[in-house]
Amino acid sequence: MKRARAGGDDEAPRQNGSAGRRKVDRQQSNGGDSGYGPTDLQDDDNDPGLRREIRSRYRELINSVQQNREDMLRPSNNKLTEVLEQANKLFKDVRQAREAALDAQLLVVATDLGKEKASQMFAEGTAFDPTAFAEHLLSFMGLNRLEDEEDEQNGGTVEGYLPQDAWHRLARKAECCFRTAPSFHYMMGSFHAEPPPPKPKIARQMKATSKDAKRIMPTQLKKMDDSHQEATEKEVERILGFLKSYYQDDPTTPISYYEFVVDPNSFSRTVENIFHTSFLIRDGLARLYLDNDKLPHIAPVEEGDVEAEGSCSRKQCIVSISPKTWKELIDVFGIRDTMIQPPSSQNE
Amino acid sequence: MTQRKRLSTARQQGTLGTQEEDDDPTFTQPSTSQVQKGLEKLTPAQVDQKTAEVVQYFLVKDQKKLPIRRADIVKHVVKEYRNIYPEIMKRVTRTFDQVFGLKLVEIDTKNHVYILINKLETVEGPSSITPTNPKMGLLFVILSVIFMKGGVVRETLIWNTLKKLRVDPGEKHEDFGDVKKLVTDEFVRQRYLEFVRIPHTEPVEHEFHWGQRADVEVSKAKILEFMGQLHEQDPQSWSQQYREAHSTTDSSQASTSSQR
Repeated sequence: MKRARAGGDDEAPRQNGSAGRRKVDRQQSNGGDSGYGPTDLQDDDNDPGLRREIRSRYRELINSVQQNREDMLRPSNNKLTEVLEQANKLFKDVRQAREAALDAQLLVVATDLGKEKASQMFAEGTAFDPTAFAEHLLSFMGLNRLEDEEDEQNGGTVEGYLPQDAWHRLARKAECCFRTAPSFHYMMGSFHAEPPPPKPKIARQMKATSKDAKRIMPTQLKKMDDSHQEATEKEVERILGFLKSYYQDDPTTPISYYEFVVDPNSFSRTVENIFHTSFLIRDGLARLYLDNDKLPHIAPVEEGDVEAEGSCSRKQCIVSISPKTWKELIDVFGIRDTMIQPPSSQNE
Repeated sequence: MTQRKRLSTARQQGTLGTQEEDDDPTFTQPSTSQVQKGLEKLTPAQVDQKTAEVVQYFLVKDQKKLPIRRADIVKHVVKEYRNIYPEIMKRVTRTFDQVFGLKLVEIDTKNHVYILINKLETVEGPSSITPTNPKMGLLFVILSVIFMKGGVVRETLIWNTLKKLRVDPGEKHEDFGDVKKLVTDEFVRQRYLEFVRIPHTEPVEHEFHWGQRADVEVSKAKILEFMGQLHEQDPQSWSQQYREAHSTTDSSQASTSSQR
């Protein structure tokens, strides 16, 4: 930035054109005693400390205008003019663009305030003071001022409490200034809605009962399954035992299948015997064969015979029996006693 | 052929879609001749019925004191009778005038927005049956300050004045609740006030003006009269405000542009 040429009140050629023009105005208004000497400027130009100081003083001024806005607005004082005078003085030392920018900012803020001050003067008659208005309103609304001496000590603020209906009172009075259309509403109001009947209770009860029922079920079933499985296996083994013992007693005499399974005392036991025996045959622990008369006989499979039996093809058949057939078998074969003792008579 | 048809219907649907959002881009005021033709096709009973529906719609919508948009009236009530819209509105205005003593005013001729105001002067005296709304008291204070200050005030002035009356915008008030919201949102939506941002302010500041509803509903002369009583001064001592109050009484209340 070129610094100003020497010469008291001469307008210095400034890089910032508008600033220069303003400077001229100010000089003229100030009566020309604001010229700067040629000697001290050279050093001040680049002294960072001074630059910072100037900028901070500008910021201070801007802040003071913004913070004390209301104060400055009052027509009773000249604070705004004082701020402008201070800014003028500061401006003499402005050299760089940054400071000039701050100066411009201050000018915007001050002009704004100036405009507002001017608008205050628009009332030719009495000016309107909102503070006085507020105080009169409080009295109107029925403010009960405290009659104590403390009231005077409080300074500006008026103590006391506003009655409950303070704003209603004011609204009533203000009504006359409004031409509000009355609001449409039903004369008797709306119907009284009842709360819905309590439904959730029923649902919860139902859930409770079903839960309990379910819990009982699984335990019962489990027991049944277990006993059923074990019973079958035990029976099958027991029958195998019978078969083997009978065979050992007399290996030469073949055991008739019918005589083996039929229980002349109980049809259901006979069926169970057939059922259990079929497992033996399935597992290859016993074999059924037809003799010369084409009657079936059963014999346990010996250890050695297992491989031999493997070569021959396995056959399947379905055995069925009815009570009539069962009775016929008993008569024909003269079965008096059962070969497979029922389990209840067994001593394990 | 079918393709072209499909395109045209799509365009129709498109405009209908936008119609719901915008004010009423597709509703153009039908001409007098169009209205005549439309009337010929309808029975008087039908037109009366539609008029009654619009009247009811207005009455209910006015409860909250929010302005009523022409677009909503056409969409929800008038519907297929839109070609005789001006005739319906004419009859609606007459009904309000003669039956209810209310005035239908179009406060915004650009966006076509209506309000209802009372034709009759409020009767003063203790005989009022209707309960008072304290919000009106608050509104009255704000409108008075704005008027006495020349028609525009910065928001800080309003907040400071209210604080002196024990109404703090930062705190919840017993009668008004969230004061800031009431003043800057509700009153603005009802068109009692205008809350405009001042450019170049940091932090952002706003100014208050009178709203369009206040312009037709509130009497400046009466406010000045009350001022005089409060301050025990002659209302004429505020000469500028006095002039404004008494010059506009002839023009503002006369804006009953209910031909639309």
